[in-house]
Amino acid sequence: QSLEDCPLDEDEDAFQALGEEDEDIDQFNDDTFGAGAVDDDWQEAHERLAELEDKPVASREQDGPGGEDSDLLGEPEDTLAERLTRLVIESELEDPAIMQAVQTRIPMQEPGGLNSSIWDSSAVLRRIRGPLLTQEMPSVSVLDYALPQRPPQAREEEQDPSERALPRRSSSPVIGSPPVRAVPIGTPPKQAAMPSFNQQILCPKPVHIRATMPQRYPTPYGERMSPNQLCNVQNSSLLGHPFPHSVSPVLTHLQRAQLLGGAQAGRMSPSQFARVSGLVGSPIPSVNPKLLQGRVGQMMSPASGFRAFFGAPPAPPPSQPQPGPASHLQSLRPQPQMFRADTTHLHPQHRRLLHQRQQQNRNQHRSLNGSVGERGSHRSNHQERKDPYANLMLQREKDWVSKIQMMQLQSTDPYLDDYYYQNYFQKLEKLSAAEEVHGDGPKKERTKLITPQVAKLEHTYKPVQFEGSLGKLTVSSVNNPRKMIDAVVTSRSEDDETKEKQVRDKRRQTLVTIEKTYSLLLDVEDYERRYLLSLEGERPALMGERKQKICDMYDNLRGKTPGQERPSDDHFMQIMCIRKGKRLVARILPFLSPEQAADILMATARNLPFLIKKDAQDEVLPCLLRPFSHVLYHLPLGTVTSLVQQLMNLPQSAPAPTNLHLTAVLQNKFGLSMLYLVLSRGEELQSSDVNTELMQDNQWTELMLMVTRELLRIPQAALAKPVSTPSNLTSLFSRYVDQQKLNLLETKL
Amino acid sequence: IPSPASLIQDIDKKHLVLLRDGRTLIGYLRSIDQFANLVLHQTVERIHVGKKYGDIPRGIFVVRGENVVLLGEIDLEKESDTPLQQVSIEEILEEQRVEQQARQESEKLKVQALKERGLSVPRADTLDEY
Repeated sequence: QSLEDCPLDEDEDAFQALGEEDEDIDQFNDDTFGAGAVDDDWQEAHERLAELEDKPVASREQDGPGGEDSDLLGEPEDTLAERLTRLVIESELEDPAIMQAVQTRIPMQEPGGLNSSIWDSSAVLRRIRGPLLTQEMPSVSVLDYALPQRPPQAREEEQDPSERALPRRSSSPVIGSPPVRAVPIGTPPKQAAMPSFNQQILCPKPVHIRATMPQRYPTPYGERMSPNQLCNVQNSSLLGHPFPHSVSPVLTHLQRAQLLGGAQAGRMSPSQFARVSGLVGSPIPSVNPKLLQGRVGQMMSPASGFRAFFGAPPAPPPSQPQPGPASHLQSLRPQPQMFRADTTHLHPQHRRLLHQRQQQNRNQHRSLNGSVGERGSHRSNHQERKDPYANLMLQREKDWVSKIQMMQLQSTDPYLDDYYYQNYFQKLEKLSAAEEVHGDGPKKERTKLITPQVAKLEHTYKPVQFEGSLGKLTVSSVNNPRKMIDAVVTSRSEDDETKEKQVRDKRRQTLVTIEKTYSLLLDVEDYERRYLLSLEGERPALMGERKQKICDMYDNLRGKTPGQERPSDDHFMQIMCIRKGKRLVARILPFLSPEQAADILMATARNLPFLIKKDAQDEVLPCLLRPFSHVLYHLPLGTVTSLVQQLMNLPQSAPAPTNLHLTAVLQNKFGLSMLYLVLSRGEELQSSDVNTELMQDNQWTELMLMVTRELLRIPQAALAKPVSTPSNLTSLFSRYVDQQKLNLLETKL
Repeated sequence: IPSPASLIQDIDKKHLVLLRDGRTLIGYLRSIDQFANLVLHQTVERIHVGKKYGDIPRGIFVVRGENVVLLGEIDLEKESDTPLQQVSIEEILEEQRVEQQARQESEKLKVQALKERGLSVPRADTLDEY
């Protein structure tokens, strides 16, 4: 019997008959041919499920997992919040913003039949989803979470320490996404819970720790306190102190292990932080510097975290780390409350400043309230009382958002993520250290910036596997992106393109080259730091890498694959025409070998007028002066000569009466400065070694004569202002010109 | 977290929000999330034309965070202390329309003038400036 002959109808008997008739069909998936494929009449299903409403409370409790109790009848006295609760159709999210502390009133018994009230539909739909979901994905353990207990909950939901209930999803769960967080990131938690720890399993069963944790947020002032007022309350949770220091729970071994393991999972959701941070925060008295520095979100297993905490080379001088944490402790013991958990990643000075400012602000507010009189404070209070819509956002939700923001500040590599901050404070510390060495005054407490680091975790991504599926399904997710579009790059032939487009493409090529070279440069500049942080064995490899990158950079600059020589400066010129390119060259020069650097210098000198013209708008060329001068310092005589030659565009141009190249050079700030530098270097070489060849060098003498001739010829007004005039130029010129001309030259310099 | 870093201290206060499309909303900030999506309550859209402004009551706004340019708390005591003159909605809409028209006219004239001189407004992709 072929498939087409099988009538797909709702009649169960027909299916059974089919099964009996053809043995083969039995093998097929139930979903394809079985009951799952039946085009069920949704209305029927709806009717059936609607009847569930009518069942007594007891059976309902057993029945629908995850559904919230709710009133099916709207009562007029209900508050706005409760009404909002009922409006929610999707209880899956269990959004605390909508679902407030649920009152478990015994719902009224409904007479049979469907109620058309809007309050009902939500409850009904919830129930519909419940059973269907349990059918859908039996194999994926995403749903395999313990369900929340539902004790009668008071309005202060925070007192409830039960685990988070996994929200029911109406759409398929996000498969293959970060495993531990089974809830989308945007979902506020319903209740805080201990995190699940095992990385390997997609969504493991959580270990339920029913610690006798005191509630995190005592609300002695009632829900309707305005945030401002809460700020002024000393022990308020808004101050950020994660744990009332009066309580110190004892962590069992299991709990501690799980805490630390959970921290390593690195994926604790915000609500979980509240609990865990609280637990960690308590052992201040236990002198454990590591834990001390590991506050919210910065928990590490002691072994791996050691180096990170001290943020220094592996063998720090023994004297230093001791005073560090000790001073921390000392400064902290008298004021345990001032130690705000969410500022631990900040430099101690920074933190102090922050606190001071906050104190000032608070004082200001207080004084404002006092001085403006009762009127002021009354007015604000009055307004608060008058504002019936205040505190729609619960304290818990606010803290949740805060926690997300704090989480974003954790970093596995603060040097990478927060480069400028780290560098700034390093500089400050160096300055103060230098001062102390000089000043030799009383040793101030030198607090070092120790940025706590979250351990970098290795995630091995295992693609999700479904049970009962034929073969492996490829599911595209954030960890495993799948190519959706086949984009083929078709490069057009040269004839088609217009000249303009060719130019543009060439420019774009250059831009790409510059960017690539810049990345290499940043890496190379970073090697020093890495070198210090690395182990002995790794260092040669690092050096090798560094050398290679330098070579690559040079190749990029000059254009790759030359023959024996580099015939054209074209590539280099392209780079030098772009602002960023010039700065790039300036930064690269210190890393190049003398020959390579000299090469760059020559190329620049050779094409200087062209560069000057192109640089007219940007005027970035002077940035090259300092690295050039450094290079010049090491150059031998012959090179210096050729440099000057290049600057004057010899031997190319015929000895014209006016040397245009040189003129252009003289009229430009950079050109003139460079010329002076080169000349100065030549003079240095001459004066240092009396027998040097330069004296006898005809070329050099000729060049000098030309230079002086040109300098004399050019009017003062046309002469550019150099960045600096080296002092030995006068002595240089004195060798070649007479006194009269020398005086004239001096006035021009 | 200090106030500049988080909007939490701003909740339940009156704010002025400038959106990317140029609209100005004024309302009480009721709720936020980590993307700075905002819930504004008793919101009013304020249209400014010259020295006049008009308010259009809008109710509750939920603004997606990425569309916010900036927002700032309104000092209730200083709120009324403004040289601007409030007018009716119809009037301000009319003023806005007139202003739009005038701007379009001037733009057209400009383009025309450029064309006459053989210049053209440069297209974005030819301005590869680095």
